[in-house]
Amino acid sequence: MTENDLLIETMDGRVRRRNERREMFRMVLGAAAVGAGAFAFASPAAAQSVTDADVLNFALNLEYLEANFYSYAAFGTPIDASLTTGTGTQGAATGGRAAAFTDPLVAQYAKEIANDEIAHVKFLRTALGAAAVAQPKIDVGIDPNGAFSSAARAAGLIGPTSLTSPTFFDPYANDINFLLGAFIFEDVGVTAYKGASPLLANKTYLEAAAGILAVEAYHASIVRTVLYAKGVDTRSAATKISDARDSLDGSSDLDQGLGDAGSSNIVPLDSNGIAYSRSTGQVLNIVYLTKAAVSAGGFFPAGLNGSIKTSTAQS
Amino acid sequence: MHTTQILSEVLERSARRREERRAFLRAAGTAAAVAGGASLLAACGDDDKYRPTPTPTPTPTATSGVSDGDVLNFALNLEYLEAQFYSYAAFGTGLPSSSLSGIGTQGSVTGGRKVNFSDPVVAAYAREIAGDEIAHVNFLRAALGTYAVAMPAINIDGSATGAFTAAARAAKVVGATGTFDPYASDENFLLGAFIFEDVGVTAYKGASPLISNKTYLEAAAGILAAEAYHAGLIRTVLYAKGMTTPSLRTAAGQISDARDSLDGSSDDDQGITGSDPTQSNIVPADANAIAYSRSTGAVLNIVYLNNAAVSMGGFFPAGVNGVIRASAAN
Repeated sequence: MTENDLLIETMDGRVRRRNERREMFRMVLGAAAVGAGAFAFASPAAAQSVTDADVLNFALNLEYLEANFYSYAAFGTPIDASLTTGTGTQGAATGGRAAAFTDPLVAQYAKEIANDEIAHVKFLRTALGAAAVAQPKIDVGIDPNGAFSSAARAAGLIGPTSLTSPTFFDPYANDINFLLGAFIFEDVGVTAYKGASPLLANKTYLEAAAGILAVEAYHASIVRTVLYAKGVDTRSAATKISDARDSLDGSSDLDQGLGDAGSSNIVPLDSNGIAYSRSTGQVLNIVYLTKAAVSAGGFFPAGLNGSIKTSTAQS
Repeated sequence: MHTTQILSEVLERSARRREERRAFLRAAGTAAAVAGGASLLAACGDDDKYRPTPTPTPTPTATSGVSDGDVLNFALNLEYLEAQFYSYAAFGTGLPSSSLSGIGTQGSVTGGRKVNFSDPVVAAYAREIAGDEIAHVNFLRAALGTYAVAMPAINIDGSATGAFTAAARAAKVVGATGTFDPYASDENFLLGAFIFEDVGVTAYKGASPLISNKTYLEAAAGILAAEAYHAGLIRTVLYAKGMTTPSLRTAAGQISDARDSLDGSSDDDQGITGSDPTQSNIVPADANAIAYSRSTGAVLNIVYLNNAAVSMGGFFPAGVNGVIRASAAN
């Protein structure tokens, strides 16, 4: 039994199933030289099973999704086609449209977030250069069988659909729906970047990723703060979405709703005041909208581009 | 009064230098690794009820300037400040004495009192953030174990001689002889919180490449996220209330400018509106939509309210405890 295994066994004395977590630690530990405490040393990516480029490309796929959703909502168009080229199979982002905002504040926030997410796409594409993956096929539409409707149905926001009486969720219909649509993604981005942070070997990329993490948390905070302020019904709806995310990504409790009237919960944190991490597989559970180990679905009908593309099998 | 005078000079200054940024990059290149043990893994257990085992504790290495323990202790000083401010504002009391002991000179808190909130939503936010910041103090103290620094003397006073008033005068949120009491109203509380919040984000981001241990790194990333959520909350509420009270947007911009003037040449701070005041700028970020970094020296410029290389002042009248305690010369 190696030192690393011993550490893992020690951690595993607790009751919760922690397979994804162990996988992540194995990756991190595997990157370190052998020896007591040696894992504490940041090591070059050579020994790691995923490279920095793999991790950044994984992030780029998520940024394509966010950028297109917000771009449609704020400007009525997907991101510029020149930003969608790269390795892998290029796809279109379809189904979005300009959101019908009535609250000028929400319209402002949508524009601001859209520009940030487009900047993230550009930054990651520049950092990755020729290694950047193409934008995969993305579904941000309102079809009854599309990703947003499926997510909203899983959360209990809309009822079952049928050919005769279809139900759908339209995140472009009004301020509240836009915020709820945004809410589906935002905390996921935070947990994804946090979960990926120890996978990055290069310190410059790490600091940049920390800066994107911060921006995603600012975005999530805007969306959560406004939803909380809009009242009881939106709080309840957001909490249902949070619960749905939690049910997709395994047994660990990695997600939180917005709290209630006397006790806000704008910031989803553990008891140490620390944001949650999600493994790449857990992030894909959510954007693929499945508990199974698959490589396509939900918001990415043809899957992600790049080497990290499989969700985790959850019980 | 002397502080205010110095700060006013700072604000007039246009010459900008980049020494502290270069020093930061040098430090990043030579950051020491801290050898740890099983507790390091435990420190970031994903079980939300799990607390880190305090031993073995991180210790500084002799090989270079900054250890993980030093960086975490630097963060702990900032968390003491935030936790005391929010705890007083939300609950009317400070942290329990059991949460204040450690290495270095333990100090007391000057000022601080409960805000009589008129908006129950802002009151709920204050309680939430207070709880988070107290959790950060407890987490860092547990992670650092016996290496944790004591809480230094902290000034969160809103009187004419308090640090908040000095900061507000420097930012011209109040006049040269005016007083700024962050406990006087919802709006003042939000502006007082605004003074700190983005600084925490930039501090944790700037420190991220200094942390060698991956487990601490991920934990620090999680605290960074929490601070960004807090900052986003405060900025969103200020911007929204600015619809009917435009002075809030102006004041936030003035505070941002003051921070920017204190911490050296780089433009690493932004108010809550664009150049067009009707445009929101909730997220302070560069052209790549990446949040800014601050070196430890730049962070101390702000909390010491001094653009010079000093080791105390402002919100920390006796300086921070630990190895990292000098602000940068700007």
